[in-house]
Amino acid sequence: MKKYLEPDPVIEAYKRDIDLTLVRKSLSLTVQERVDRLLALQKAAKEFREAGRQLRASQKS
Amino acid sequence: MIGGFAATIHGAARLTVDLDVAYSREPENINRLAKSLVDLDPYLRGAPLGLPFQFDVATISRGMNFTLTTSAGDLDLLGIVTGGGPYEALISESDLVEIFGYRVRCLSLGKLIEVKRAAGRPKDFDAIAELESLAEEAENSHGGAEGH
Repeated sequence: MKKYLEPDPVIEAYKRDIDLTLVRKSLSLTVQERVDRLLALQKAAKEFREAGRQLRASQKS
Repeated sequence: MIGGFAATIHGAARLTVDLDVAYSREPENINRLAKSLVDLDPYLRGAPLGLPFQFDVATISRGMNFTLTTSAGDLDLLGIVTGGGPYEALISESDLVEIFGYRVRCLSLGKLIEVKRAAGRPKDFDAIAELESLAEEAENSHGGAEGH
């Protein structure tokens, strides 16, 4: 990290929980593949939110 | 592009739902920005419906940073970025990437870490840790946005 900022002890503590397998997998993708994956995740998250809304509505009725 | 989308471009795996864009405050660009968003019905995110809000040249000129909701998703437009300054100061700290056939300027990984640290928001700590891990991995493998 010498190229960037001095290490911050709080951030260093958070780093212990970073899944480096995800980081390495992501770095193996092209930029377009990374964006495509994000858009697919956003679409899925939207579906999940809608499913949750419908579930809560059905539980109320 | 800055924020979560820029982080994705550099390899972040976390999900982000809004697009953060730093924009030039040059009058010609403000005009272009207002015109380009007309069809997306921009509105102030989280504000009560029915306010007399119009995202036009006058509104952009009066304001600086905008958190908007649009028909295409949430959009944050920043005239000034904490820890980074205006668009013009960020140009030299950006990488050119190609997405969907367009060449797009994306804040460099180093600067992205810097501005997120400058913002000092606890909710960003996890994201900063991931970005710094990405930087370390990219340094080790010579990967990152530039490598593809």
